[in-house]
Amino acid sequence: MTDANPTSTDRDAQTDTERGAHSETTSSGVFSRLPDWVGRYRIPIGLVLFVLLLRPVVALPFLLGFESVATTILIIVLFVAAFNLLFGYTGLLSFGHAMFFGFGMYGAAIAMSGHGPAPELGFLVGAVVGVALAAFVGYTLGRLTVGKGEIYFAFLTLAAAEAVYFIANRDPFGITGGSNGISGGAQPGWIESFRGELTVTLIPWPDALVDVFGWLDDWYLLVGLVFLLAMGALWQVVRSPFGRSLIAIRENENLARAMGIDTARYKVWAFTISGAFSALAGALMAINNHGASQEWLSVFTSGDTVLMAVLGGVHYFFGAVAGVFVWEFTADYLTDFAVLDLGFIAVDISRELSHWQFLLGAVFVVIVLVSPNDGIWGYVRAYAARGWARIEEVLR
Amino acid sequence: MSTSSITNRSRELLADVSPAWFALALALVVATVAGFAHQPGLFVTQAVGGLVYGAILVLITLGLSLILGLMGVVNFAHGALFMLGAYLSYSVVVAWGLPFWTALLVAPILVGVVGVLIEVTVLRRLYGSEPIVGLLATFGLTMMLDEAIRYHWGTTPLGYAKPEVLRQSVDLGITQVASFRLFMVAVATLVVAAVYVLISRTDFGLTVRAGVQDGEMTEFVGVNLPVRFTAMFFLGSAIAALAGVLQAAEYGVNSQMGQTFLILAFVVVVVGGVGSLFGSVVAGILIGEANYLAPVILAGLAEYTGIAALNISGIRGLVPYLVMLFILLVRPRGLFGEEGLLE
Repeated sequence: MTDANPTSTDRDAQTDTERGAHSETTSSGVFSRLPDWVGRYRIPIGLVLFVLLLRPVVALPFLLGFESVATTILIIVLFVAAFNLLFGYTGLLSFGHAMFFGFGMYGAAIAMSGHGPAPELGFLVGAVVGVALAAFVGYTLGRLTVGKGEIYFAFLTLAAAEAVYFIANRDPFGITGGSNGISGGAQPGWIESFRGELTVTLIPWPDALVDVFGWLDDWYLLVGLVFLLAMGALWQVVRSPFGRSLIAIRENENLARAMGIDTARYKVWAFTISGAFSALAGALMAINNHGASQEWLSVFTSGDTVLMAVLGGVHYFFGAVAGVFVWEFTADYLTDFAVLDLGFIAVDISRELSHWQFLLGAVFVVIVLVSPNDGIWGYVRAYAARGWARIEEVLR
Repeated sequence: MSTSSITNRSRELLADVSPAWFALALALVVATVAGFAHQPGLFVTQAVGGLVYGAILVLITLGLSLILGLMGVVNFAHGALFMLGAYLSYSVVVAWGLPFWTALLVAPILVGVVGVLIEVTVLRRLYGSEPIVGLLATFGLTMMLDEAIRYHWGTTPLGYAKPEVLRQSVDLGITQVASFRLFMVAVATLVVAAVYVLISRTDFGLTVRAGVQDGEMTEFVGVNLPVRFTAMFFLGSAIAALAGVLQAAEYGVNSQMGQTFLILAFVVVVVGGVGSLFGSVVAGILIGEANYLAPVILAGLAEYTGIAALNISGIRGLVPYLVMLFILLVRPRGLFGEEGLLE
């Protein structure tokens, strides 16, 4: 893949050296006073900070002013990060990741609501079945398609997802609910819904302790916990020898093969793991959205995933976080934004802004043209690295 | 070549066919005959419908294949250009009040210009880079085009009246066929023939093919390649728009058509084999026919075998993907694909 274009390999190598230089600056200079483990575990630390800060930040009145979007953002970040394991780390572009998300979502929703012939099974059974199905489909489809080159892979995943969408739309045996999706009763017993706000009632607090620990019964916190566990697992995958081999495959497949990496097998497993984690995100979304809906299975979801990943920066673990945050934030912020007040003249641009996807599409094209691997996160990093270097010079 | 050598050759070819393939072909023929015998009128109607559907698919895939095979760029925006052509024809006929025939000319030219703009501003920077980057860039463009179309025309499905001349139907004996559908097939045939002549029989096609083989050398010889590639992009976009105009006149327009047909065009490319124009044509017709005939054939089989379960309702939309899966399993590079291209 990369051998067709020497310049892109050079650029990748260059970003790698930049990255190396950057991590050196974090362990020297201003940061020398920080203990070593801060640098080594900066990704998990960053993730915890993200979970803790996300909700208060989006709830600020001059930003979005409502909290519920924070949970959605966490779930989609997990989905995009799982996608990025395949695209950003292995170099395989899947245009059909919505189907994996859909397996988890529909699996959980069908099991919980007792839809079709299934008796009510509970969330965990549905989620496990959904994740297992996603892993199985990922593995099988991977075995079929992985050896065919990246363009073929993109076509084939797109077509497979369209076929899955079609099957769900046809409502086989009355289990997927056709175009209506599954909405009635898709809620586990340990979730209480009050005016759209979800509360977790897993732990039966004694009456005396409710006032003290009651705030823990928070759906956002549960999602945050699952999010941290899953993202931590993905991080472990990425920094394991397996993940390093995936990066080797991305950078130079022929060289990786020459070094003795069974590239096809690694790609298949990357696809499988990516599918399974996407399904996990889907299962969470089934609770969050009170059921499964068809639009989550559609091509547009797959496409948005690609956009968010590239927007954020596919070569970075935090790219998914940056991409999803910017995407969701733009979506909600611009849709609410109605009147452009320039002081002397006020223009109603709500109709134009409801087509915000045009704007993000343009930003996306520019990013792909300028540097398809770095995205917003890469830009922010490079900028921050330059800033720190300046500060260090001043302090020295 | 004498007739006996031809029969010898076909005998040799037949001897190469394995018993499994022979049985499969026989089963397909029997199933088709059963479908025909069960409902002959419906069968012919569906066969014509499949041909028309296939013709639209061929036109879309032709542009996609041209740009992919010649320039190595996967144009994800191709579906959006097709849709833009369809919507423009609506504007030409309904909003501007011009006859349909002008739409047949104006929409492809305008969309071709849009295609040229895309090529000059975006794709020209990407020649020689990884194909996946071109795919991503055109995906972003798709999003912009889709959103622009939604902004201008809204999301409700639209439609307009066909010209008077093409509104009659032609009697085929067992069934009636709308003459516009035959017109669609005729236009598609003309375009395919014209493209074939252009690519394989003209100096222009020769230099473009040479440029694909070895761009540097071709430019040394004094060929202005960028202009030729831009022209090819114009041609591909214009053909997509022409397909859009035909589709709009017969079935109307909606904001999902670009995405739907793009995916089907990808399926056709995979089935026909990447980089083969002939493969795209054969696969397009094959998928169109399979799509329309499968329900009739299954209904016939269910009738004669007495197994009602064979008559799967709603199998139609799934057929292209089943064909693709089958082709992938037995012949991974597609029906007429060159080995190694984009692999």
